Amino acid sequence: MAVTSPDQSAMRGTQPVATNRAWSWYRVSEGMTPYFLIAPLLVLIGVFIYWPLVYSTYLSFFDWNFVRPDKNYVGWDNFTRLPDDPRFMRALRGTLFYTVTLVPLQVFLPLGLALLLWPIRNSRAQTSYRIMLFSPTIIAYSVAAVMWLWIFNPLQGILNKLLVEFGVERIGWLSDRDTAIWAIIIVATWKTLGFHMLLYLAALEGVPKDYIEAASLDGANHWQIMRSIRFPLITPTFFFVLVTTVISVNDDVFGAINVLTDGGPFDSTTNIIYYLYQQGFQFFQIGAASAVAIIVFAATSVLTWVQFKFVERHVHYG
Amino acid sequence: MSDMTRRRFVGQAAAVAGAAAVAGTAATSAGRVAAQEKTEITIYHIWGTPPGGTPAEQPAPMTQVIDAFNAQSETVTLNTNTPGNYQETLQKTQADIAAGNPPDLVSVPWANLHYAIDGLGVRDLASVAGDRYDEFVASMSETAWPLVTRDDVVHGFPWGLSTPIFYYNADIFEQAGVDPAEAFATWDSFAAACPALQEAVGGAPVFSLTYNKDWPAQTLIQSNGGRVLNDDGAFGFTSAEAKEAMQTIADLDTAGFYDRGTRDELRPNFIAGSTAVWQGSVASLGGLNNDAPFTLGTNTWPRFGDKPVVASTGGSFLGIFTEDESRFDAVLDFLAYCASEAGYSLWNQTGYVNISNIELERLPGQEPAYAQFEEGLILETNWPGARGLEAQAVWDVYCERMWANDISVEEGVSQALEGINAIIGA
Repeated sequence: MAVTSPDQSAMRGTQPVATNRAWSWYRVSEGMTPYFLIAPLLVLIGVFIYWPLVYSTYLSFFDWNFVRPDKNYVGWDNFTRLPDDPRFMRALRGTLFYTVTLVPLQVFLPLGLALLLWPIRNSRAQTSYRIMLFSPTIIAYSVAAVMWLWIFNPLQGILNKLLVEFGVERIGWLSDRDTAIWAIIIVATWKTLGFHMLLYLAALEGVPKDYIEAASLDGANHWQIMRSIRFPLITPTFFFVLVTTVISVNDDVFGAINVLTDGGPFDSTTNIIYYLYQQGFQFFQIGAASAVAIIVFAATSVLTWVQFKFVERHVHYG
Repeated sequence: MSDMTRRRFVGQAAAVAGAAAVAGTAATSAGRVAAQEKTEITIYHIWGTPPGGTPAEQPAPMTQVIDAFNAQSETVTLNTNTPGNYQETLQKTQADIAAGNPPDLVSVPWANLHYAIDGLGVRDLASVAGDRYDEFVASMSETAWPLVTRDDVVHGFPWGLSTPIFYYNADIFEQAGVDPAEAFATWDSFAAACPALQEAVGGAPVFSLTYNKDWPAQTLIQSNGGRVLNDDGAFGFTSAEAKEAMQTIADLDTAGFYDRGTRDELRPNFIAGSTAVWQGSVASLGGLNNDAPFTLGTNTWPRFGDKPVVASTGGSFLGIFTEDESRFDAVLDFLAYCASEAGYSLWNQTGYVNISNIELERLPGQEPAYAQFEEGLILETNWPGARGLEAQAVWDVYCERMWANDISVEEGVSQALEGINAIIGA
C-alpha cells in the first residue's frame, strides 16, 4: 500500500484541473489565433473601405459640402436629378466607351505580348522588353503627363512633326473631340500594359513542363499546345485580369483624363469617375458625388457578379 | 606644442568638444524657447512659382514677402503651403476645415467670394481686426475693398488684383511687318493682321485665350456692351451684344487663327514662339519675363469699334479662416506687413495691379493693365447659388465649344442658359 502525504494528494487533486484549464485556454487561443492575426487587416478594411461606403450612402441623401454646419436632407434628389444632367449623361457615354475599348486592350494585348515574349524567356532580350514594358506602370501620371503632353502638342510635339514631314496636316490630339479620347486610351493602355503582361508571363511560367512535353511527344503542334494546354492553365490569371480590369478601368483612366485633358474638349473625354471628382472636389457637392459613388459601386458589383456567374465556369483552377 | 602628448591632446579635444556640446545645447534650448514664444500660423496660396510660370532662380514674390516677414517678426512664424492652383488650394482648404485644422490665411479668388462666405465660412475682417479694423481699411486703396465686400461686410484682405491683357511676341510682329498698336486697336484690325502673323508662325494659329474660358469671355462680352451676369442677377450672355462678341472669336477660329489648345498647351506654345499672341493675366507678367526668350510686348484688349474695353478683375484676396482667436494678432501682423511698403514692394514684382496706398514704380509691360483699370474694371463674375461653381463649369465648356465652332453661338448661348438654369434652379 502506498503511503502518500497530504500535500501530494492535494497536488494530485489540483494538477489535472490546472492542466485542463491551461489546455482549454490553449485550445481557445489557438482557435482565436487566426482572428487575432487578421484583426488588424479587418480593422483597416473596415475603416478604409466599409465605413466610407456606409458614410457615402448616408451622405448621398444630403446636400452638403463637408464644411457647412447644416446638412440638408434631400432624399433621393441626388440620384433622380442625374439623368437630367447632360454632363452626367456624357460621362456615362464616356464610361461605356472606355470600358468597351480599354478592357479588350488591357486584357488581350498584354496576353499577346506575353505569348510573344514567352519563347525568348531565357534571353536578355526578354528582360529588356519586360523592363521597357513594365516601367510605365511605376511612373506617376503627373510625370508621364509631361512626356505625353510634349508628344501630343499640336505645334511642337514629335507626333505632329513626324506627320508634317509626311505631308499630313497637324492634328490637335488633345483639343479635337475625335482624337482626344483615343489619346487618353493610348496613354491608359501604355500605363497598364506591362503589369498585366507580367502577370501573364508568371502564369505561363507556372504551366507544368511535363504536360507540354507529353503533348509534344503525342505530336501536338505549337498552336494545339497553346489552345489545349497553356491557355486553359492560365485562365485563372486571365479571369483575374479580366475582373480587375473591368472593376478598375475607369478608375485607371482618371489619371490620364485629369492630367491631359481635364475631361475636355467639351467634356468629350470625361467619364463617371472624373464626373464624381468634379462634383466632389471642384464643385464641392459631396452629396451628389456620394450618389455617383454609390451608383458606380452598384454597377461594378453587378458586373463582377455577372463575370463570376458566366465566365468563371470556363476557368480551370487545376 | 612639442610637449603635447597624444593623451593630453585627446583630453583637451574632448573638453573642447564637451564645452561646445554644452554651449550648443544651451543655444538650442534658448532658440527653442524663442521659437516656442512665436505664434505659428499657416497660409495656403498659389504663388509658389510666378503665376503661370516656372520656378526662377529668385524666389517668387510671395515667398519673398513671407520670408521677409518671418525674418523681421519676433512674435510670429508664418508657415507656407502651396497646394497648386486656385482650385487645388480651395480643395485643400476645404479638406482641412472639415478635418478641424483650417489654415489661417488662404488666397481665395475674387470670383469665389460667395462660396468662401456661404460654403467655407470665411471670417469677416472686422471680427478679426477689432480695434485695428480702420487701420487695415486705410492701408489699401478704397477701390479694392468693394471686391471683398458683401452686404456691407468686408470678408477678406484685398491682395492680388489682376486683369486679363494681351501678350505678344514682338519679334514675330516685326518679322510679319505688323504694327502692334495698329493690330490691337480693334477686333477688325486684329483680324486683318492675322494672315501676316500666321505666315510668320509657319501657318500655325496666331493667338490663344487663357484657359478657363469663362474669364476672357467676360471681358469680351463686356467690351461689346453686354454682361455674362447682369447686376440684377439675370444672365446676360444671350443678349445680341454678347452673341456678337462671342461670334468674333468663332470667326477667327473659322479662319484658322485661334489656337484651340488645352490648358497645358497654350502658354508653352506662346513661349516657344509657335503662336504670336497669348491672352493671360497681368499677374503672369513676372513669370513671362523670366521665361520668354523673345521680346515680350503687352497690350490692352482690342476694342469693338469705338466702345471702351471693359475688362474683368481677376486674382484673389486673402481670406481668414483662423479658429483660434489667440492667433488673430499673428494674422493681423502679417496682413499689416503685406500692406507696408516693405511687404508690398516685394509683392509688386508679380505684375498685379497696385492696390495699396503706396506709390510704386510700375513694371514695364503693366501699362495695359493700368489703362484698363482706369477705364473701369468689372468685378469678376461671382456665380450665384450653392451650385454656382458647377454652373460656371457649364458656361466654360459652352464658351470653348462656341469659339471652336463645335456649336453655333446662337445654339451655344441658348443651351448654356438652359443647362445653367437647370443647375442654379435645382
